Amino acid sequence: MAGQKLYPRATVKKIVKAHSNRNMSKNADVMMFLDYMLFMQTLMKEAAIEAKQGGERGITARSVRKVTADSLAKFRG
Amino acid sequence: MARESQRPAATPTRRASSEGPLPSIYRQSILRTPGSQARGLQHPQGLSASGRKVAPPTATPHARAAFRAIDSRRAAIFTPHRARRKSVREVRDSPRDFLLSLGRVLARSTEVITTSSSSSPGEGDKTVGSDGAGNETTLGAISVDDDEDEEELPKRPRLSLPIDEEDDDSDDLQPYHSVVIDDDNYTMQSIEMPRRAISEQPGGRLSMASARMSDYFNTNDMLHSEDIGLDPGFFPPTAVLDENNFTMGLEELPSPERLDSDGDRRELGRESDFGIEVPVGDINESTFMIAPQVEESPSRPPVTDDEPAFDDFLPLADQRSDDFDDEDLQGEVPALEGELTEGPRDGRLDETEVQFASIKRAQARGVVKKTIKVSKHGIEYPSLPPAVVKRLAQNFAKASGAKGKIAPDAMQAVMQASDWFFEQLGEDLQAYAKHAGRKNIDESDVLTLMKRQRQINPNTTAFALAQRHLPRELLQELRMPPPAVPKKRRRAKGGAEDEDVA
Repeated sequence: MAGQKLYPRATVKKIVKAHSNRNMSKNADVMMFLDYMLFMQTLMKEAAIEAKQGGERGITARSVRKVTADSLAKFRG
Repeated sequence: MARESQRPAATPTRRASSEGPLPSIYRQSILRTPGSQARGLQHPQGLSASGRKVAPPTATPHARAAFRAIDSRRAAIFTPHRARRKSVREVRDSPRDFLLSLGRVLARSTEVITTSSSSSPGEGDKTVGSDGAGNETTLGAISVDDDEDEEELPKRPRLSLPIDEEDDDSDDLQPYHSVVIDDDNYTMQSIEMPRRAISEQPGGRLSMASARMSDYFNTNDMLHSEDIGLDPGFFPPTAVLDENNFTMGLEELPSPERLDSDGDRRELGRESDFGIEVPVGDINESTFMIAPQVEESPSRPPVTDDEPAFDDFLPLADQRSDDFDDEDLQGEVPALEGELTEGPRDGRLDETEVQFASIKRAQARGVVKKTIKVSKHGIEYPSLPPAVVKRLAQNFAKASGAKGKIAPDAMQAVMQASDWFFEQLGEDLQAYAKHAGRKNIDESDVLTLMKRQRQINPNTTAFALAQRHLPRELLQELRMPPPAVPKKRRRAKGGAEDEDVA
């Protein structure tokens, strides 16, 4: 991460704003991205487990897709 | 004649006496009367009104149709099996059933009409031929038959004629047809009207005959396809009232306009009815299908499974990351703007927003489609740069013990997942902000969300998470959560006291 910013803040703001149709306070996007990171963590962890169970080498699209729904449900507010 | 006059049942004797070909009459009376009597005994006539309600299948086909209509209107929507059962029953109907019902109907109807009809005395003038037959028909049941019989007497010899004579003689010939027609006639005159009125319209309707007419028309027109049960039921009563009723004779059929209007009404009813489609031409009533609700939420773009090939992404993504580096030095915001505006020029591929339900995509890669993602609210939005997602994914994959790189198609899936995630996130946050009565989405909303996601709990604060995951500069942006309220200790104390007390 050195020398590279973690994520484009404006992009995140735009995405969330488009979906929620609301403005957001100045630094809310940081928390959002934190949430997103947690989601990604969960997703990749589940995908890795799934891949291991399926006897695949590395994470494949199949494993990711399989766990996507569950992970999303987990992060449903 | 004295005997006859004493009897209320006089009509059949008179009829029998009619100078026409006697044998037929004999036959009629002989054949019929015993049956009708027997039936009358079995089923007391008090049942006539209620009996039909109780047992629709035994009623006349017309009555059955009416019942079907009512049922289908009210309840059949939710109980298709019922309709199915009915249809099966109908199929099983044998001529014998029809004959039974016919006998029943005749017995009743005759009585009613003898009391009411003014035409009978005129007919009564005819000579009394067969007293024996008259005696047998004690019920006087067949006054209505008399009317018809007189006209039909000449035709009587040809047994094969189905339409006119069936009711009289041809029990064997064509029971089904005969039943239908007879029923219609009787319906029009006496029996069915009160029933209909009871079942369908409690409000006293004077022009029941009209109601009869409409149904009569239906049944008569499509003799065999009487099973279009819905149709009569959909007639609004007012429309029925409009018709000129008594002027129409038995033979008269409703005018064609009537038909058209019926059709219109039918269609209307069908449309309004929970999307139930009744195949018109189909005889079997039970075959209906519930129209699927095909509409999707209008705001969302139609699902196209096209997803940009990640292979094509990669070079672009690399450029991107380079851009990021450069921009990073310059400062955040302008860089971001540049990136955003630059997106389309780059030929960056926007994915269509795919609904959650359609997780199956497995698309042929290489089909590149330039589409702009539009959110539910009609706002275009970019997706996270693939480089960022990839970096995150790889970090976490490594952390969770997966070896090797993430395949491009897997990355594609991850991108899709993150798009979905942000959509979900936006909706949830919007809901929270709306609930709080705020126009803006606040950090507190995100905190609430994370709490509900069980990412934050008493053991892990948002701040701890942020510290773990976020770089320092972002961490500084975060407002520190207010320090835990010292109330905790007090509560613990109280608990301890309680325990002591206990």
